[in-house]
Amino acid sequence: MPERAPERSASGGAALPGGAKRDPILVADGLRRAFSGIRAVDVDHLEIARGAVTAIIGPNGAGKTTLFNLLSGFDRPDAGTWSLDGKRLNGLPAHRISRLGMVRTFQLTRVLARLTVLENVAVAAPGQSGERLDRALLRRRWRDQERQVRARARTLLQRFGIDHMADQPADALSGGQRKLLEMARALMTQPRLIMFDEPTAGVNPALTQSLLGHVRKLQAEGLTIVFIEHDMDVVMGISDWVVVMAQGRILAEGPPADIVAHAGVIEAYLGRAHGLEKGGATESEASRD
Amino acid sequence: MEFDVILGNAGRAGLGPQAAIFALLVIGLNLHFGYTGLLNFGQVAFMLVAAYGTAITVATWGGSLWLGIPFGLGLCVVLALVLGLPTLRLRKEYFAITTLAAAEILRLLVRSSPATEITGGPFGLQAIAGSFYALNPIAEGRYGIGTFSYTANQLWVMIVAWVLVALAAALVFLLIRSPWGRVIRAIREDEDAAASLGKNVVGYKLQALAIGGVIGGLAGVVNALQQSGVGSESFGSQVTFMAYVVLIMGGVATTAGPIVAAVLFWFLREGVDSFLRQLSEEAWLPDLLADFLYDAGGAVSIALAGIALILLLKSRPEGIFGKRREGAADA
Repeated sequence: MPERAPERSASGGAALPGGAKRDPILVADGLRRAFSGIRAVDVDHLEIARGAVTAIIGPNGAGKTTLFNLLSGFDRPDAGTWSLDGKRLNGLPAHRISRLGMVRTFQLTRVLARLTVLENVAVAAPGQSGERLDRALLRRRWRDQERQVRARARTLLQRFGIDHMADQPADALSGGQRKLLEMARALMTQPRLIMFDEPTAGVNPALTQSLLGHVRKLQAEGLTIVFIEHDMDVVMGISDWVVVMAQGRILAEGPPADIVAHAGVIEAYLGRAHGLEKGGATESEASRD
Repeated sequence: MEFDVILGNAGRAGLGPQAAIFALLVIGLNLHFGYTGLLNFGQVAFMLVAAYGTAITVATWGGSLWLGIPFGLGLCVVLALVLGLPTLRLRKEYFAITTLAAAEILRLLVRSSPATEITGGPFGLQAIAGSFYALNPIAEGRYGIGTFSYTANQLWVMIVAWVLVALAAALVFLLIRSPWGRVIRAIREDEDAAASLGKNVVGYKLQALAIGGVIGGLAGVVNALQQSGVGSESFGSQVTFMAYVVLIMGGVATTAGPIVAAVLFWFLREGVDSFLRQLSEEAWLPDLLADFLYDAGGAVSIALAGIALILLLKSRPEGIFGKRREGAADA
């Protein structure tokens, strides 16, 4: 893992919200979103370091998924700006943001149930000219490109160990396989940054390890990864940087070890869950599934 | 009871222009509902707009039929944009309600008295298809056996209509097997997922709506040619609902389903109709029942068709041609 924790030294002290990174890929400023008066997201400044694995943690209702929705164009902020590699993303629709290299997955897997597993991945290929109406009718105008797309899709399915299901409809996949398919599909868009919304929710421990292995490999290939996670073991095991959210705001950020030690975090999240003899954890478990 | 007459009537309807018109309407609807997942409850509006666009060009403005037809089909594209642009971003229920309302509004509009000077109002427009029948290469006369026969003009409309059906089915088939088709099927499955993968969901929906709308418009053009005129009574919302019946009967998201089901639908409908008409003339039938069948035969035959559809869907929920995987109708 060549790129592990490059900003640990760069950011200076840990646990300062909105700290500058040496080489940020994603920068957000003054991002606000309210739902009928309640501030769901209220982020003054956030930078995501290139090539790092950044975890976003926080109690239920902290605004993590809303932040994802805003950044990926699935929801509109009331105020604020954000940019990917210097390119302003404000007001762009979700599909344009995806094409710029920032792809997201969903908390509940969203496979295209009645398409085959291979089609699920192939449809994500960028720049397939046969998707244009004026070229779709004549097969020879997209056949060669389609052959490459399918070959790449098969390679990805092999990488995630679901190539034996390639010609099955996606709704024949198990819950864990669906998570793998979503990862393969996201990768097919050739992104620079992937946002995973709870990649390990509802997944058995063995598959969790396999998913984390895939995430590490993606990082080794130079991708930036941001993920929302509730499982602190996962957060500690894989992330270079942790952002803690509570009530829409960024409470603290820093390397995982520092975050655990940070009192504010323990109070807002860890403490509440641990202090109540896992009562709080059970509650969050239930509402998440 | 003359079964050859019943069979002849049924066969004539099954292969006739009315079945071809329905096949076109349903092929367009299949692109909307079956492949893109658009809940279009106003497919008949595309038929109306194309038929009236053609007829108004000829009868009201004195233009050529060959200008009127592309004008009518062009109006279908306009209608698709007007219906789609404001609603396709919203949840699909809004689109469904808008299409249903738009179809009714258009029908009431063309039949309203103030519109009489343009659309003929309640009287419709007549004598528009002269230059179409002037091209008829078939010699005068009746072709066929018994009641299963057509005049030369009917035959001419039929040939053109079924050729259009074949072309429309081929067009949809080619589009669906292309990467374009894969995107619209992905949108049907999950819009947000498709958007997250970089697909312009609204743009693709508009394209699908316009193409399926123009195919539905062809049904309107054929209808106008066949009647050599238009009347608002041909464009009630029940036409859209019957199109859904045919679509689900044949199998949603299939190529052959809409065509075979349209033929079968009109064959059964006319067959049952003809059977009931004959039954009402049987001497052994009590007068009360005979009168009822004579007066309400049409309603009874639709009810019987409904029962037949329920029985079919009970044994094959995915329709005649549907694969269980892709065909199960859900919205």
